[in-house]
Amino acid sequence: MKTRTIRAWTLVHKWSSLVSTLFLLMLCVTGLPLVFTHEIEEVLLPQAWTPANPEAPPLSLDQVLAAGLALHPGEVPAFMSFDEDRPVVNVTSVDPNGPAGKYSFEPIDRTSGEVAPPVAGHPVMEFLLQLHTDMFLGLPGMLFLGLMGLMLIGAVVSGVVLYAPFMRRLPFGTVRARKAARTRWLDYHNLLGVVTAGWVLVVGATGVINTLATPILAYWKNTALKELTVAYDAPAPAGERASLDAAVARAKQALPGMKLQFVAFPGTDYSTDHHYAVFFHGDTPLTTHLTTPALIDARTGELAAVAPTPWYVKALSLSQPLHFGDYGGLALKILWALLDIATIVILGSGLYLWLGKGRRKPA
Amino acid sequence: MSRKDLNIWAIFGAPILVFALSLTGLIGALLGDGVWDAVFSTLLASTVVVTVWALIRRRR
Repeated sequence: MKTRTIRAWTLVHKWSSLVSTLFLLMLCVTGLPLVFTHEIEEVLLPQAWTPANPEAPPLSLDQVLAAGLALHPGEVPAFMSFDEDRPVVNVTSVDPNGPAGKYSFEPIDRTSGEVAPPVAGHPVMEFLLQLHTDMFLGLPGMLFLGLMGLMLIGAVVSGVVLYAPFMRRLPFGTVRARKAARTRWLDYHNLLGVVTAGWVLVVGATGVINTLATPILAYWKNTALKELTVAYDAPAPAGERASLDAAVARAKQALPGMKLQFVAFPGTDYSTDHHYAVFFHGDTPLTTHLTTPALIDARTGELAAVAPTPWYVKALSLSQPLHFGDYGGLALKILWALLDIATIVILGSGLYLWLGKGRRKPA
Repeated sequence: MSRKDLNIWAIFGAPILVFALSLTGLIGALLGDGVWDAVFSTLLASTVVVTVWALIRRRR
């Protein structure tokens, strides 16, 4: 490699790292416990709740919906979602004349119609997650962290390029442990950096995609989902709606073998003004993250369309497991933690090598 | 004493292998459950194995 080329890549490596290191350290430190969110919350949170009549046949969806809405007179249904590990259906409703975005949320025990305790994360984990996602700054914070993720990708790519001139006389993996601290840490930095490059690139790139969740979903709603509503001019009034159970049953017919995930009611963000959007997901680790909505005409209960999500929504859906590492059991989580710690060492040693640079004796 | 420079394959051979193994592990674990999780996690574990090997055998 020519000296000039090396110098250019060095500049890229130095600045992409310097700009992002502190934020990346924060992401790695908060990300470490977040990998084990499920396990930690299982220990920290009380698990006392049991359904009222475990043996009873489950209430119909229309009955559950009525039970949820009875708690909030005047509100209209917005979403209905289904807990995976307990017979609880969550009814989200909204006051059509109230402020936008103010939802009521009622977990309903499907065996009794009574309210079940909500599943909330532990406050400490929620705090860490929020810090990790947007630093409590909302969308601008998310997008900023996305930019830091792009810096990370730049730092990894330039780091791999610079690995060659540094290692041209050292066999792979050499650690000159008896040399000066600077040399020793340079070797650790290079070894850990090149070995973890694949994982860091995947976690970094999927992290960047996750920061774009809000604009990606907004674009989907405003384009692909909107196209399905063109045939209608007036929203379906709440009184003229077909049975929810019949709508879900019709949707299941259209997507056999898939698992019910949630229902978006007409007029909400995830549906049109005229349809129940019934979302399904598959049951392998890959397809469980890929949702497919079936749109059911809210007046007639007829199937209007099966609308597979476009590629950019699929990319977003797959970016979540690949970023969180929660798709391959505890072994994968432990690897995620080890590689996260390795990344902290890489960031720390990189900072150390840069800080130590000024004190180096001139050659 | 001047040693000859290593060629590009000598420098990047092992890193490319680890890169390929870890990407296969990352994506493969998405596709299957149970035994496959173990198999593909092992591929990703090549990162840790290689690091530990280097820290023991290539320390000097």
